[in-house]
Amino acid sequence: MIGFLKGMRVTLRQLPKKKVTLQYPDVKPEWPERFRGVHRFIPELCIACNQCARICPTSCISLAGERDENKKMKITTFDINFDICILCDLCTEVCPTEAILMSDTFEMARYSRDDLYLDMHWLYENEQRYEEAHPERVAEKAGRAE
Amino acid sequence: MERMNPASKLPVLEYEGLTPEENAELRQAGVLLQSLETLKGWARSNSLWPLTFGLACCAIEMMGAGAAHYDLDRFGVIFRASPRQADVMIVAGTVTKKMAPLLRRLYDQMAEPKWVIAMGVCATAGGPYVNSYSVLKGVDQVVPVDVYIPGCPPSPPALIYGINLLQDKIRREARGKRVSEA
Repeated sequence: MIGFLKGMRVTLRQLPKKKVTLQYPDVKPEWPERFRGVHRFIPELCIACNQCARICPTSCISLAGERDENKKMKITTFDINFDICILCDLCTEVCPTEAILMSDTFEMARYSRDDLYLDMHWLYENEQRYEEAHPERVAEKAGRAE
Repeated sequence: MERMNPASKLPVLEYEGLTPEENAELRQAGVLLQSLETLKGWARSNSLWPLTFGLACCAIEMMGAGAAHYDLDRFGVIFRASPRQADVMIVAGTVTKKMAPLLRRLYDQMAEPKWVIAMGVCATAGGPYVNSYSVLKGVDQVVPVDVYIPGCPPSPPALIYGINLLQDKIRREARGKRVSEA
């Protein structure tokens, strides 16, 4: 009987406490700034130096560039095979112009593996989505670059 | 004559759990059991009992999703330890070539209807072990996969998103709509 009361004391003490469960599908989680979600990509900044593709441990990045009229390298294709990307952040760290960055998009479940092959347009749309969601972070970044 | 009739090429409704004769009789009488199918889809999608199939670090995230913080019980997802009681298999982690026959056997032991979620890039395509000699390059080589969740490992919200996608797929397929296949 004493043991039962002791047990009930623990149970009853939990009742007035705040609920710990996060209501995920209704309330979206707030990720920290350095959260590693899917990449976002800024094509204007990329100089097609191939460093991200070389450092990638699973070689999931494939890119191609060409020289424009000013003899500057411009990106033409940039694909991430998100099937095997392990979100290690190495491509972001190595990028000299910060053209490839991590976003906070995590809802990447798909019915088919074909949809996980992300091209430049998808990644740029992801960048625009990120800028819309976090204008203060992007502004801060631009201020530091100047 | 049969070959000339274009109606003979159309797909016919086949309800599961009924014999072909009963199906033919239902078709002849013009009876549709659509609302029953929808009800079944609703019931199945809201009581997904996954088979605990943790193979690597993704299993930790799966446990985290099942614990108090993310609480999979909200969606009627209750982990079972036996394939006979489960109807969805969450393959969480690296599947080695040695494990693949066992995975297939456990899948065969599950009762119909059954679904498979490939959680993490290892189960989706081999992930960081994509050049390894001993790792299966994706569980879709041994079992049919319904939902792929990339990430290394995917966070609990990403897993919940995948489970919600599977629920949506079950409901839509019960209404007779086709969801894209791999």
